[in-house]
Amino acid sequence: MTSAPIVTHGLTKRFHGGQVAVDAVDLEVPAGSVFGFLGPNGSGKTTTIRMLLGLIAPTSGEVELLGEPMPKAHLRVLPRVGALVEGPAFYPFWTGQANLLRFDAADRTADPKTRKARAGEALERVGLSNAAGKKVRAYSLGMRQRLAIAVGLMQRRELLVLDEPTNGLDPQGTREVRHLIQELARDGTTVFTSTHLLAEVEQVCTHAAVMSRGKLLRQSTVEDLRAELRPRLVVRTPDAGTAAETLQGLGVTDLKTSGETVEGDPGELPIEKFAAALVAADVRIHGFGLERPSLEDAFVALTGEGFDVAE
Amino acid sequence: MSPNEVAAEPTEALAVGERPSAGRHTLALFLSELRLVFGRARTQVGLGVLAAVPLLIGVAIKIAGSDSGAEGFIGQIAGNGLFLIVASLGLSLPFFLPTAVTVISGESLAGEASLGTLRNLLTAPAGRSRLLAAKMVALAVFCLAATMTIWISGLIVGFILFPVGDVLLLSGSTVSLGEGLLRALGIAVVISLSLLGLAGIGLFVSSLTSTPLAAMAATFGTFIVLGILTAIPQLHAIHPWLLIYRWQSFADLLRDPPYWHEIGRNLLLQGGYLVVFYAAAWAKITSRDIT
Amino acid sequence: MGVAQRSRRWLVPVTAVAVIAGVGTLGPVVADASPKLPGISAQDLLAKVQTAKVDGLSGTVRSDADLGLPAIPGAPAGSEQLTEMLSGQHTARVAFASPDKARVSVLDNQAERVWTTDGKSAWAYDSSRREAVKLTVPEHKTTKPEKAVPSYDPQAVAKQFLDAIDPTTKVEVSGTEKVAGRDAYKLRLVPKTDKTTVGSVTLAIDSKTWVPLDVTVMPRTGNDPALEVGFSTVSFDVPAASTFTFTPPQGVKVTDKKVPSQDRPKRVAPKQVEPKQVEPKQVEPKQLKPGTAKAGEPTVIGEGWESVAMIRGAQTAQLTGNGPLAQLLAKAPTVSGTWGKGKVLTSRMVSALITDDGRVFVGLVTPDTLQAAAAKAPR
Repeated sequence: MTSAPIVTHGLTKRFHGGQVAVDAVDLEVPAGSVFGFLGPNGSGKTTTIRMLLGLIAPTSGEVELLGEPMPKAHLRVLPRVGALVEGPAFYPFWTGQANLLRFDAADRTADPKTRKARAGEALERVGLSNAAGKKVRAYSLGMRQRLAIAVGLMQRRELLVLDEPTNGLDPQGTREVRHLIQELARDGTTVFTSTHLLAEVEQVCTHAAVMSRGKLLRQSTVEDLRAELRPRLVVRTPDAGTAAETLQGLGVTDLKTSGETVEGDPGELPIEKFAAALVAADVRIHGFGLERPSLEDAFVALTGEGFDVAE
Repeated sequence: MSPNEVAAEPTEALAVGERPSAGRHTLALFLSELRLVFGRARTQVGLGVLAAVPLLIGVAIKIAGSDSGAEGFIGQIAGNGLFLIVASLGLSLPFFLPTAVTVISGESLAGEASLGTLRNLLTAPAGRSRLLAAKMVALAVFCLAATMTIWISGLIVGFILFPVGDVLLLSGSTVSLGEGLLRALGIAVVISLSLLGLAGIGLFVSSLTSTPLAAMAATFGTFIVLGILTAIPQLHAIHPWLLIYRWQSFADLLRDPPYWHEIGRNLLLQGGYLVVFYAAAWAKITSRDIT
Repeated sequence: MGVAQRSRRWLVPVTAVAVIAGVGTLGPVVADASPKLPGISAQDLLAKVQTAKVDGLSGTVRSDADLGLPAIPGAPAGSEQLTEMLSGQHTARVAFASPDKARVSVLDNQAERVWTTDGKSAWAYDSSRREAVKLTVPEHKTTKPEKAVPSYDPQAVAKQFLDAIDPTTKVEVSGTEKVAGRDAYKLRLVPKTDKTTVGSVTLAIDSKTWVPLDVTVMPRTGNDPALEVGFSTVSFDVPAASTFTFTPPQGVKVTDKKVPSQDRPKRVAPKQVEPKQVEPKQVEPKQLKPGTAKAGEPTVIGEGWESVAMIRGAQTAQLTGNGPLAQLLAKAPTVSGTWGKGKVLTSRMVSALITDDGRVFVGLVTPDTLQAAAAKAPR
């Protein structure tokens, strides 16, 4: 089946209090993508992921995972999906390896003969080989996070659903996980990863969707998302006043001056025309160029609010 | 399509995935469940306490001497160590065994929910019905393990501390030691089956909450209430329906010949409790939102 | 709508409760539906019963008594046993082989009391005390142990009732039922007088062997039987001779007793009281003897259902003072008449009048009938 690995239609979850956690979300995650599911804490990301995996029942709407309806076909679909939902959860009184073996045993399509070997490989991939025999009680949060990813790596998966996979990891660990995600994507696994870190999306994702207050605001490629914001002309000069006048004369709009920096929307004119005009007006140019906006700017533009806003 | 049903089970019967290694290793979860229950220090301590029951009784009787003149099975221990098994099982039935079953059954689903491992199991996917079945099977095995622990401990302690020989039955006739051991084994099995109703209640309560301690407390509370109701003579009309009303019938195995009527009634009642509460646990766990 | 679909799952446990409760309460009723048997007149049925003869039988007898007797904690040993046997449910295994072998085992909770005779010797065994009593029975006195516990032998109980049938009683065949898996006729006896507390007595009589399998006594008021004694399983094969022998096991204290001292183990005696109370005079004095040997011969006043037994100076020592029995008496209403003054104790079935001069009147009659009997009684 070549359809998108994750498709939802009007997915809605209303909790008993009447509070709408997820409101008519239509997601479509393309095959082979690394899909960043972006949004502040409390925006409905985890609830959406729980519905994708059949852990909770939608109030209305539909979920299709790998072309099959969820949760109806969950026993057929979920063995092909690796999942990490809302933080790592393990039996603290068991070793990391024993935990992996148990969750693998719960999947009846998993071959018991290769179970130990596969656990070893998965631990190796997340860099926990040395801690395999340690009780999870003694693991740091970062180690648990990696162990949780290892659960998803026990089998070849067509889709990985990761909820905040780098949460609690140190910078080194974060780099490793991002590297791992890219590696998996290269092997053809579609990765759906939620995060509240823009940098993460910028670095590893091909696609992104933005959630805010239970609503899906936008989904597209990361490139498109960024391109939607017009690049800005930025000039750094001690002669800010003259520069601003000159640029205004050339039709640059939305001009802002702060100290030695002047910036504005260049419109349709080619960039070299501005440089020539500034030089002609005897403006001393220390810096000159077009600047692409960051994803954070894109997010602020979309939601009208900053990040790390908990609702 | 019924998108609003969490974990609809009918698809369990369908073929599994396209993975080359795809097979059906349904039992793996059941074995893993046994490993989880019996691998825990808590379980082992519980079984250790049960194993100590015959030891305590045996030592106490040894010290008190054989002329204690007690009635019933206790009074027979000094004369025949085999009765240590029967007396220990009988004395553990009203409190120790139900406590152990309450702890293990209360832990079963609520423990997974509180650790968050329930999520991992369900996305594995274990299948909610199969997971529940695995939990129940592990509970039943625990019930048997608990009574067998007493049986074995009673056998060892009884044979070391006291003389053993032909076994005097309630009816006044005597059977060989071998048959006596077999009957004591039967008692252990009957008692373990008698615990299944309580295990079913515990499993159901455990499916309702994410707090194992709350599940244990509620299950034990239910057990206490049933015990009180059983002790109120004015309620004799409902007594035959109460979980523990016929628990004492295990001793009918020591009649000549064994009297099966009450034991059968007891086991039917346990079966009834088990079916009802297992079905309720199923209804709850297959429709519950797992957070 | 998701909620509705999910709540539908709860139909499964709810259905389970309904099915189990239904099978548990209605199942026995359905299973015991009246069998189809050819019609028979009461007279024929009675004739068949009189000629009933079996060479042996074995089975399980269950009794369920609710005479409404007050529980008397701390009462004398004999009456304690009496109260115990006349209240609640009891199960006994019985076996009988013609002509003189019998065994009765009362199945107590985690204990058993056994009476058995092989015709030569008789044993009584109590498992909770691990004590056995041996009686050597003289050759000619063969029926002793059976008679010792007639309340557990439906055959004996029923026969005593049948002997009593006279103009005071309406007798009819009131249908059929299944008892212990056997097709049986129901013979119903209804007292014609309203001076008794007995509403009816129903016997279930096996349609093949004509042995009474069940006796049910209904009180005049209320829908629950006051007493039901009957087989729950029965076999008419002659039991093996070994069934009736008793070898005292090791560690059991054995007491030897000689018959005919009439000094049977005390606990046996009270059970005889029960049939005595429901039966009319002709059998009574014989039956009463062992249990009340020291209290003097009881006198029977009145006939049939209205019979009242008078016991002179019986245990009055225990009725005064501070014992629980005395306290019970203190609460009982006091009545007086030409006969004197006394206290009346009533229950669903049994009434008793205890006079100040130490006479006790007991019967399955109304208190008024007791007083009338007291008036006629010799001082």
